[in-house]
Amino acid sequence: MKRSILTIVALTTLITLVLAACCPEPVVTTEKVVETQVVTEKEEVVVTKEVQVEVPATMEDVEIVLWTKEGEADGGLQFVQALADAYTAEHPNITFEVVNKDVETLREDFLTAGLAGSMPDLLWTVNDHAGPFTDAELIMAVDDMFDLSLYVDSALAAAELGGKTWGVPISNGNHLMLLYNKDLVETPPTNTEELITMGKELTTGDQYGLVFNQTEPFWLVPWLGGFGGAVFADDGTTPTLNTPEMIATLQFLYDIKYTDTIVPPESDYDGADTLFKEGKAAMIINGDWSLGGYKDALGDKLGVARIPMVVGGEWPHPYTSGTYFMLPEGLEGAKLEAVKGFVKYATNANNQALMIAKLNRLPALKAALDDPLIANDPILKGSADQMVVGTPMPTVSEMRCNWDAMKPEMQAVLANTKSPEDAAAAMQTAAETCIANLE
Amino acid sequence: MEFLTLDVILNSLGEVGSTVLYILVGTLLLEIIVYFLWRPLEIFSGLVDRVLKPMGDPVRHGLSTLLLVGVLVFTVASVSVGVEQSPPPWAPYWPLAIVAFLVGAFISPTAPKIFHWQLRLPYMLFAPALVGLLVLVIYPLLWELNVSFTNLNPKHFKAPDFVGLKNYIDVFTTPVLKQVTFFPVFLRTILWTVINVAFHVTGGMALALLLNRKLKLKGLYRTLLVFPWAIPQPVACLAWRGEFHFEYGFVNILLQRIGLPAIQWMTTPFWNFAAMCITNIWLGIPFMMVILLGGLQSIAGEYYEAAEIDGASGWQQFWNVTIPLLQPILTPAIILGTVWTFTNFNVPFFINQNELETSDTLVTALFRSAFQYFNLGDAAAFAFVNFGILLIFAILYIRVTGGLKGATE
Repeated sequence: MKRSILTIVALTTLITLVLAACCPEPVVTTEKVVETQVVTEKEEVVVTKEVQVEVPATMEDVEIVLWTKEGEADGGLQFVQALADAYTAEHPNITFEVVNKDVETLREDFLTAGLAGSMPDLLWTVNDHAGPFTDAELIMAVDDMFDLSLYVDSALAAAELGGKTWGVPISNGNHLMLLYNKDLVETPPTNTEELITMGKELTTGDQYGLVFNQTEPFWLVPWLGGFGGAVFADDGTTPTLNTPEMIATLQFLYDIKYTDTIVPPESDYDGADTLFKEGKAAMIINGDWSLGGYKDALGDKLGVARIPMVVGGEWPHPYTSGTYFMLPEGLEGAKLEAVKGFVKYATNANNQALMIAKLNRLPALKAALDDPLIANDPILKGSADQMVVGTPMPTVSEMRCNWDAMKPEMQAVLANTKSPEDAAAAMQTAAETCIANLE
Repeated sequence: MEFLTLDVILNSLGEVGSTVLYILVGTLLLEIIVYFLWRPLEIFSGLVDRVLKPMGDPVRHGLSTLLLVGVLVFTVASVSVGVEQSPPPWAPYWPLAIVAFLVGAFISPTAPKIFHWQLRLPYMLFAPALVGLLVLVIYPLLWELNVSFTNLNPKHFKAPDFVGLKNYIDVFTTPVLKQVTFFPVFLRTILWTVINVAFHVTGGMALALLLNRKLKLKGLYRTLLVFPWAIPQPVACLAWRGEFHFEYGFVNILLQRIGLPAIQWMTTPFWNFAAMCITNIWLGIPFMMVILLGGLQSIAGEYYEAAEIDGASGWQQFWNVTIPLLQPILTPAIILGTVWTFTNFNVPFFINQNELETSDTLVTALFRSAFQYFNLGDAAAFAFVNFGILLIFAILYIRVTGGLKGATE
C-alpha cells in the first residue's frame, strides 16, 4: 500500500514538472483603447480605457539582463530598477532582470561570462572597464548607434579608446569629494594643515575626524594629484609610480593614520560609510554615488567641499568619469533594438532630472545641465566644484595594471609593514611586469 | 526585484523540471542502449580475440596502448581554447580517431573480459556517471591543460597563442600575483595545513575521548559540537569575518573589555593569518571529532581491560592501544583533512577581505591569478602544479605510513 502511494506521488510530481516545463503561460497585457465621445457640438471628450488583452505566447518577448554597479545602500539600485519597471510599463514585452555587482566583481564576472559565452545584455558600469573589455573584444562601440552629440564632451572623452566611444554616459562625475557633518564641522578645511588640526580636535574616544576607504587606491590618487604626481607619464601608458610624489602621498596617508591619528586604525568602504552615517565620523572622503544615501541619513547636516589642498602643492585631483551603459558584443535583432530603446529612455531629459533629484549625480545629457536643481542645490554645487579640479580617469587597459600594483602596496604602508619608499618601488615593478605580461 | 509570486515559483519549477526531465530521459536512453548493445559487443570481442590470438598478448597490449594513447593525444590537442580560435589542422580527421579508439579497444586481450555478459548490469549503471565525469571533469581538465600551453588573457582572449611550457616555467620564476612568488606561497600553504590539521586532530581527539564515556546529555553535547560543521562554509566565513571587524566585531569588543588593545585583523599580515586559522580550526574540529568518535567506539573494551590488568597508565593505554587501533581510521582522516585544508578556498578567500598577498594560499592565489587578474594561461599551469603537489603528497603519505594496510588485511 505504502509503495503504491509513493509511486503515485512520484508520478504525479513528475507529470506536474513536465506540464509546468512544457506549457507556456499566455501573456496578459493591457492595451489602451481610445474612444471619442461627442458631448456637445463644441466639446469632444476623449476617453481612454484600458482593456486586458491576451497575447499569444508565440509573440517575441525580450528579457534584458542588466548588470549594474549601483548598490542598494546609496539608492542607486532602486533607481535602476525603477527605470526598468517604468520602461516595462510602457513596453510590456520587454522585461528586465537587474543584477547588482560591485565594481570589481562586475569586471571579473563579465570577463568570465565572456569566456563562457553567457554575457548579460547590458552593463551599467564605470568607464575604466572599457579598457579590459575592448582588449577582450567583448563590448561594441556606440558611435553609430546613438546621437552622442547630446552628451557632455568630458563624459564622452572618458569612454573613448582608439578613436571610438565604448559607452553611453549616464552620469558625469563618479568623483571623490570631502563630505562633512555640519553638526561637527562648521567650516570645512581648505588645506591639509587645517584638515589635520581639525581632525585632531574631532577625534575622541568614539569619534574620528576623518574616515575613508583605506583599502582601495581610488582613494589614494586624488592625494597623488595634490602632491603633483600622476600614475602615467605624458604618453598615457608608461606607469610613473616610483616617484617622490607617490612617496610623499604614501607618507601623508601613513601620517594621518599613525602620527596624527585622525583616521581609524582599520577601515574599509562599509566601515567608513557606517561611521559617517552614524555620526561617528566628522568628515568622509567618498564619491558622488554616496550623496543620495548620506542626504537620507543626515539631511541638511550634510556638507560638500573639495578635498583639502595639499600645503605646498595643489588641489587634489580625484578621478572623474561617470557611469556608462556598455553594450556587450553579439547583441542583435530584437534584443539590440530593445537595449537601444532602453538606453535612450534612461538617459532622456526627464530621467536625467530624476537622477539629479534622487541620486544627486551630475547629468551626462547636455540639456539636463541647465536644470536649476544643479545651481540651487548646495550638494550638487559642491560636487560640481570638486569635479572642476578632477582629472579624467584613464581607460587604457594599462590602468588595470596600475590599480593592481598600487593596492597591495598602499595597504602595506597603511598596515605599517612597508616604508613608502619600498612600496613605491614595488608598485612600479609590479605595474611594469603586469604591462609586459599583457603583451 | 521579483517577489516570490506563484508565477515566479511555477517558472522556476518549470526550468528545473525540464532540466531534470532531460537528464532522466537521457539516462534512461543511455542505459537501454548500453544494456542491449552489450551482447553484440561481447560476441564481437570474442570473435576478434579468437582471430588475433596467434599475435600474442604482449603485441596486442602494446598495439592497443599505442592506439589509445594516440587517441588521447589527438583529443587533447583538438580541444580549442579561444572563443573564436580556429580548430587545429588535424581536427577534420576525428572519424579516424574514433576508428582508432574502437580498434585499440577491441584488439586488447582484456576486451572479452570487459564485455563479459555478467558485467552488463554494472556497466549499464555506471554509464551515466561516466558520461557525467567525461562532460563535467575530463573535458574541462583537457581544456585547462590546453589553456596552460597558451597565453590566454584579456589581450589574447578570443584566439590565444601557443607558448609551450613558458607558463610552467613562469610559475616558479615570476610572481604568481603582483609581488609574491611560488615558494613563499607554497611554504605558507604548508604552514597553514600543518597548523590546522594539528589542531583539528588534537581538538577532535580530545572531544571524542570526552564523548566516548557515559555522560548525561551526551546527545545534546554532540549536536552542539557538530554545529559548526552543519553551517555552510561561506556563511560561517562571512560571519566570522564580520566578527573580526575592527570597529564592530565581537572579538575586538571582547578584547577591549578585558583591557587588551583591538587587533587589526584585516590589514596586518600576521593577525589576518591568525584569523584564518581560528576560523578554520572552529570549522574543522567537528569532522575529526565525529570520525574519531566512531573509531573509538569500534575499539573493543577487552583491550583496555587487558592493558589495565598489565598495569598500564591512562597515557600508556592511549598511546599503545587507542592510537594503533585508530590508525586505519586516523590515516584516511588525516589524509582527507590535509587535502581539504590544503585546498580550502572559502576560509582564506573570505577572511582575507583586503586581498593581502601575505595571506594567500596556493588555491586563493590561483583563483586571483585566474579570475581577478585574468592571467588564465599562467593560472592553468599553476593549477596543474598544485594538483601535482597534492598527488605526490597522497602517494608518499600512504606508502610511508602504510596506514591503509590495517584496513585491507
